[in-house]
Amino acid sequence: MKKYDVCIVGSGAGASGVAYTLALGGKKVIMLERGGFYKEEDFSKDEIAYCKRDIVTPSLRESYHTIEYLSANRWVKKTTYSDESSFFNGNIVGGSSNFMSGYFHRLKPVDFKLKSTYGAIKGANIVDWVIDYDELEPYYEKVERLVGVSGKVTPYKYHEPRSTKEFPYPPLHEHPITKLIDKSCKKLNIIAYKTPRAILSKSKDKRNSCYYSNYCGSYGCSSGAKGSARASLLQPALKTGNLTIITHAFVKKLDEKDAKVTGAIYVDTQTKKEHRIQADLFVVAGQAVETCRLLLNSKSKNFPNGLANNSNQVGKNLLFSAGGVGTGQFDASTMSLKELMVEGLFVNRSLCDWYEIEDKNIKMKGGIIDFLFEHNNPISKASKQKWEDGKLLWGEEFQTKLLKKFTTTKQLNFEVFNDWLPTDNCFVSVDEKYRDIYGVPVANIRIGSHPHDIKVGKILAKKAKSVMQEMGAKDIQTSISSYPPANLQAGGCRFGDDPKNSVLDKNCQAHEVANLFITDGSFMPTGGSVTYTWTIYANSFRVADAILKQKKS
Amino acid sequence: MKKIITRRIFIGSTVLAGTALALLPQGAKTSIRVEPFKVIEVVQKVLFPKGLKAPSASEFGATSYLATVSTHSSFWRDDLKFLSHGATLLIKKERDFLTMTPNSKDKALRNFVSNNSKGENWVALILFYTLEALLSDPIYGGNKNELGWKWLNHHTGQPQPKVKFAQL
Repeated sequence: MKKYDVCIVGSGAGASGVAYTLALGGKKVIMLERGGFYKEEDFSKDEIAYCKRDIVTPSLRESYHTIEYLSANRWVKKTTYSDESSFFNGNIVGGSSNFMSGYFHRLKPVDFKLKSTYGAIKGANIVDWVIDYDELEPYYEKVERLVGVSGKVTPYKYHEPRSTKEFPYPPLHEHPITKLIDKSCKKLNIIAYKTPRAILSKSKDKRNSCYYSNYCGSYGCSSGAKGSARASLLQPALKTGNLTIITHAFVKKLDEKDAKVTGAIYVDTQTKKEHRIQADLFVVAGQAVETCRLLLNSKSKNFPNGLANNSNQVGKNLLFSAGGVGTGQFDASTMSLKELMVEGLFVNRSLCDWYEIEDKNIKMKGGIIDFLFEHNNPISKASKQKWEDGKLLWGEEFQTKLLKKFTTTKQLNFEVFNDWLPTDNCFVSVDEKYRDIYGVPVANIRIGSHPHDIKVGKILAKKAKSVMQEMGAKDIQTSISSYPPANLQAGGCRFGDDPKNSVLDKNCQAHEVANLFITDGSFMPTGGSVTYTWTIYANSFRVADAILKQKKS
Repeated sequence: MKKIITRRIFIGSTVLAGTALALLPQGAKTSIRVEPFKVIEVVQKVLFPKGLKAPSASEFGATSYLATVSTHSSFWRDDLKFLSHGATLLIKKERDFLTMTPNSKDKALRNFVSNNSKGENWVALILFYTLEALLSDPIYGGNKNELGWKWLNHHTGQPQPKVKFAQL
C-alpha cells in the first residue's frame, strides 16, 4: 500500500492552505473529500440545484445531525431530517468556500485577548488565545495575495495593524446605493467601512476577474474570481503533481496505535466500498462539527472517548456567529429606480465603529455589521411574499404583490456579527442511537447560547437600523436571534497550552496524538466578531509552515 | 452570508406516515393514484390564474414541472406524502371541487384553509412548488418560454444550467 507524507481530511479553506504549502514544498499529499469535484465550467446559476435541494451537501437521507435545543427549560433533541434543516455546508472539493459571499474581515488584536481585555463573563468559557495577532498577520497578508482580496483600506478606530499599505486588488465596482450609505453615515458621524472581498477585481494566473453575474453567495463561481479553496489553492497545488484528491470519500474513522494515527478509513459513497489510506502525518479539516464527529467516532484502546480526547475536550466550546439580520425596503422615493435596479454591482459597506462598545461606562466587546442586497434568487424572493399578516395569499392579490416586489423595490439587508461566547451548552457529541447510512453515529449539536450574545447583537442592530432610517428605508425589520447560522462554525477542538483543557497545542497539533493536526476553525477558543474564513485560511498557512519546519528538523 | 435555517413551511406532525397514495404523473393506470395529481393541477390554476400581465400556472407549466422534479431523488419525500394526503382531504371536504366554476373553486379553497392549519400548509406547499415552476430555469420543465422571468423583469445569471440538478 502506498504511503503518503500527509493525508488531509476535507478540502475547504482550512485544508487547502496546508495542501498548497506542503505540495509546493515537495511533500506527497493525499486529500479525502466527501463530495465531487466541480470546476468553473460545471457551475451555473441554478437556484434549484444550489439553493433548493441537497445536491452539494449530503442528502439528509444519507446523513444528518441531531440538534439539542432548549424548550421550556429542557434540552430537546430533533433530527435535521425531521424539518429539513441541514447543517452541512458545501461538501465538494473546496468545501463551503465555493459558496461563500467572500465578505472578508480579519480578527482584531483584542480578539486574541478577550479575557484579559474585557474580563470573565459568568457562564462563558472565555480564554485568551495562545498566539497573538502579530503572529497571524503575515498569514492574513499571504491570503490577500494568494486567495485574492480586493478592496481599499478604510481607517477607523479599531483597524488592525497591516504589514502592507493596501490590498493587492483594487475594489470591485460598487452599486449606486453605496453613495447613499456613505452620505447617511457621514451625517450620523459613522465611518462607512469599505468591505474587503475575497473576489478578484483583476485576473490572476488562470483565474478571471469577477464578471458581476448578480448570483454570487450560495453559487459556485464560473470565472474563478471568488477565492474558493479550490480555485485559489488546490488547482495550483494539483499542478505540482504532489497532490492527489480522492472525491466521494467519506472518512468514518482514524486508526491509532501508540498515540499515532496509522490510517484513515473511508467509504467511497458511490461504490459503498471501504478503503484505507496510510500517511506519516494526518490533518483533519472537515469543518468544526464534522471534525469533532470524526475524532469522537475514532475510539481505540488508548482513546476510549475518541481520538485525542482523554481530556474530554473534543467537541466542547463549539462556536457559531452571534447576531442576526435586518432588512429595509427601498423604492423610487429614495433614489431613481434606474439606479436602484442596477444589477450585479456590490454594496461592500460595513459598520465597524462598535467593535468595542462603551455602554453605561462599561467597556465590552462589540462587533460589525455588513450591508448586502437581498440575494437575487427569484424563487426564494417570491416565496417570502406569500404570507401577509399570517394569511396565505394567492390569485390576483398575490400576483400584484409579486409584480410590485420585483419591479419597484429592492431590499437591502444587514447582517450583525458578534462573538458567540463559548459555553458548556454549545458542543458536539455523538449518540450511538443515531447513525447515517454507513452505520456511523452522527454528530449531535447542542446549540445553547449565552444571553450576553443577544444583548450585544441588539445594540449593534440598533446602530444599523439608524443608518437604514437615515437612508430612507421603509419597513425596517430586525431579527437578533440565539439560533445559530449553520454555515459559520468554529471551536470544538480549541488550542491552548494546557492539555487538560485544550485539544491542540499552539501549532494546532493534538496534545495527545503526535502526528495529528487540525486546521479548520475548530482550533478557535473564541471566535471574534467577523466571519471565520479569512482567519481559517491564514491559520492553515501558519500551521503548514510549522509542519514543514517540524519535518525539516 | 449567514445561512439562516428556516423550514419553508411547517409540516411536522401533519404528515401522515405511510399514506397509501403516491404522487404519480397523469396517465398512471389506477384512478385513485391519479387523483392527487389532478387535484393539485386544478389547485395550481386557482392559485395562479391568468392575469392582466401574469402568466397562468398552465401556461408556465406548473404541473409538468412538479411531475418532473418530484421523481428526482432530491425531492423531499415528506412533501410527496403531504401533497397526496392534502389532496385527499380537500376532496373529502369539497367533493365537487374538480368540476366547480373557477370562482367556486377559489371560494372552496378559501373555505378549506379557513381555521385549518394543515389545509393552509398544504396549499402553501403547492404554492411554493408553483413558484419554483414559475421562476426556475426552464431546463426543469417550468417557466416555459421564460414567461415567469419576463413577467417579473427578472434577468437570470449566466451561465444557465446545461444539466438538471448540477449533476457532474
